[in-house]
Amino acid sequence: MTIDIPALLVGAILLAGLYATMSYGLALIYGVMKIVNLAHAGVMMWAAYAVFVLIVNAGLNPFLAPLITVPVFFLLGMLLQRYVVRRVMFAPPISSLLLLFGIWLIMQNISYLGFTGDTRAITTKYTLMTFEFLGIAISINRLVVFCVGILALLVMRQFMGRTYMGKAIRATAQDGDASKLVGINTDRVMEIAFGLGIALASLAGSLMALIFAFDPDFGRSHLLKAFCIVVLGGLESMVGVALGSLVLAVAEALSVLWIMPALQDFVSFALLVIVLIVMPGGMMGLLAKLKKT
Amino acid sequence: MQVKELLRSWKTWISLALIIFLLLVPFLGIGGGYLQTLAFLTFLYVILSTAWNILGGYTGQTSFGHATFYGLGAYTTSILVLRGVSPLVTMPIAGLIAGIYGLLWGYPCLRLRGQYFAIATIGVGEATRLLMLNLDDLIKNIPLLKEALQDGVLTGGATGLMLPTPEDIRAYAMGFYYLAMGLMFAALLTSWWVKKSKFGLGLFAINMDIDAAETVGVNTVSYKNLALVLSAFMVGIGGSIYAQYMFYIDPQTVFGFPMSISMVLMPTIGGIGTIVGPILGAVVYIVVQDRILTANIEIGTFTLSLSTLHLLLYGGLLVVIVLFEPKGILGLQKRLVRRWGKRAIEAVPVKKMA
Amino acid sequence: MAVMIEGIEVSKYFGGLAAVHNVNFRVQEGEIFGLIGPNGAGKTTLFRCITGVYPATSGKITYKGRDITQLMPHATCVLGITNTHQVVKPFSDMTVLDNVRVGAFFGRGWKQGEVKDATKEAMRVLEFTGLAPKVSFLARNLTLPDRKRLEVARALATRPELLLLDEVVAGLNPTETDMMIGLIRQLRDNGLTILMVEHVMRAVLGVSDRVMVLNFGEKIAEGTPKQVSTNPQVIEAYLGKSYAAAAKAEQQSNQQVSKQ
Repeated sequence: MTIDIPALLVGAILLAGLYATMSYGLALIYGVMKIVNLAHAGVMMWAAYAVFVLIVNAGLNPFLAPLITVPVFFLLGMLLQRYVVRRVMFAPPISSLLLLFGIWLIMQNISYLGFTGDTRAITTKYTLMTFEFLGIAISINRLVVFCVGILALLVMRQFMGRTYMGKAIRATAQDGDASKLVGINTDRVMEIAFGLGIALASLAGSLMALIFAFDPDFGRSHLLKAFCIVVLGGLESMVGVALGSLVLAVAEALSVLWIMPALQDFVSFALLVIVLIVMPGGMMGLLAKLKKT
Repeated sequence: MQVKELLRSWKTWISLALIIFLLLVPFLGIGGGYLQTLAFLTFLYVILSTAWNILGGYTGQTSFGHATFYGLGAYTTSILVLRGVSPLVTMPIAGLIAGIYGLLWGYPCLRLRGQYFAIATIGVGEATRLLMLNLDDLIKNIPLLKEALQDGVLTGGATGLMLPTPEDIRAYAMGFYYLAMGLMFAALLTSWWVKKSKFGLGLFAINMDIDAAETVGVNTVSYKNLALVLSAFMVGIGGSIYAQYMFYIDPQTVFGFPMSISMVLMPTIGGIGTIVGPILGAVVYIVVQDRILTANIEIGTFTLSLSTLHLLLYGGLLVVIVLFEPKGILGLQKRLVRRWGKRAIEAVPVKKMA
Repeated sequence: MAVMIEGIEVSKYFGGLAAVHNVNFRVQEGEIFGLIGPNGAGKTTLFRCITGVYPATSGKITYKGRDITQLMPHATCVLGITNTHQVVKPFSDMTVLDNVRVGAFFGRGWKQGEVKDATKEAMRVLEFTGLAPKVSFLARNLTLPDRKRLEVARALATRPELLLLDEVVAGLNPTETDMMIGLIRQLRDNGLTILMVEHVMRAVLGVSDRVMVLNFGEKIAEGTPKQVSTNPQVIEAYLGKSYAAAAKAEQQSNQQVSKQ
């Protein structure tokens, strides 16, 4: 079996864009509220099904579907935060972990009820289209997914850096009390930040539905990968998340050279555990440390 | 004086009656041995629940990866039995292997705080499952390791392993039933002893404020690891008896995430950090699994099979518990007792740290 | 008098920030040693280096001649050094008695079998600190002054020889402060060596034998309370240059008056 490394790498880069989108939502929620959102997986899964219904049943153009799902999920996220998650904000962190985990289980079950456990995939006229670039066949689907993902991140970057709400979010993430003192409505901020996190997860899910097959259990391995990236990326910055996504995607892609394809996920899980232990500050933390010494 | 108090409490009499009933179950032949199997599973799950509680409830380290120990216990026993080792002998070995594995990934992971540790355990759980699923293929080309393969099989991959069944299965099942019951009491005794001891006091201190505990002399690193190893050992033995009773194991079941989830759910439902809580949680879990989830509700012409609702149920339970009564069933009971002003004598006996 | 604890060129860096920089100190046995300085001066950090919560980046700390620089907090506790925390950290869901028993059990290594002794020790300490009537209260139901006392009681149960108190009177009203100070004096009279970080000047200057002043992580003064409180550099650190100049001027005029 000849392995085409350039194709592998290109594929990895395209995937990295998606990974980054999937991870940033997680990082945002954790950064602002110090809550690990286990329901992230459920959201990605639900978004995938939502998109499925829109495309397969309603005949919507696959690349327009996210435009519908994302705002809906944003609202859902805000409501979830306001009425449920807020209650456990000041409980020990394990409470929010279990709560969101419970919500994820519920989401899974609803999907089982509505769609059964059959694996679904979305095939559109775009699915098999590719175009040639420097001798490498690039899937149109994946390219668009990559572009949308990057676009979303860039928009987020502008939002966080330039708008009032973006800055308010960053302020609350750094110091909730101080933010309150300067007049920021931290309750509102957390609602919006959570909503954004969920929205990003739903965007990731909507895009993933175009590339991967899915069933109600979808999202678990992706959740772990997102954790891995978030921890690798150091939790503080978008650049970190982008870098982390790249590192993971490339590591996964190259790992097929040495280990069985079935163990590809093993790479990300092992990496997660190793990174958590060795580099709790992530790569960015490591870089910062290296700069100072 | 404490004995007299115990004798007066209705709880003691009910428990005694229950124990006598359990002892007689194999002879009652209810449902053709169905109740016996159910009781056996309950014993098993009480062991698992109690074991998880030592790490998760007493020490406050929530692990979503305990299935690794269960699976290792089950596979150790199965692999050894298939190679001619006497099943009962494999039990302590299974526990030991699980304990060692616990130390292996526990030591680095326990350096992480709260949530991070929990996430790491999810990663370890999944990684272990994948590893075990593909182990045969992995080692079949490595010179030294491939000696472990028997007919090309070590773990059997996705198809799992099948153990030879004994001839007199009824006698075997009955004997095993009592063994499991005995092990359950051993587990409960262990849990009780830990809670009363200096070790337990240290674990609870770590749970409530690890920095303060460290400051007043608790060797938090050692204690956390010890709790993990003990927990792993017990779960490993649980896995071992599962294999010996079912005669068939596969990676999806014993190493799967649902298994880990169940071990988190049971003590949480029953009452985390207590001795009785895990028992209640295990019973609830088994009853739900067996009775409620095989039932069907009929609403008009619409029949809803509840078997498809178990995730909803558990998820819902978790949400309700976290939001309204983090201390589970026991916590609810205590609250109700206080609310209705019943006499304290009937309430949960004061657990004196003697 | 023997040297209880000595720090030589102790430094602690967080990334590029020097929280503590080349601090030398020496605490004698049986004395009350005060550690003061403006906020952010590095006092708590230095404390943590001593107990081992943070390992010092460089320098050496010895306790009764033994190098403890790299020891973990539980190890230093067993050796005889215990600290209380600025923000009290009780074991919330445990009773007052159990809180202190943790200290009694672990701090000086009571073995499992000596349960009764640990309980006795805990009760003794609780009576000393005045918490005996509240033995079965859950720690999270205590008032702040009681929590502070619990913090001290738990630390005492570890049978320390050197007690590090981190802002132990913070948040207490004057009466409660006086009671705490009285307690501290009693402890010293019973043979304990005490190192205390404090902001409440009345408390620390009134009870310390010697005081050391940190600012921006460095030692800027050391001496008796009187020496330190009239030290211009110290005044400058707390109140700014203009006050320091005024203090210096007053000092000089006092000297001139006494010369005459």
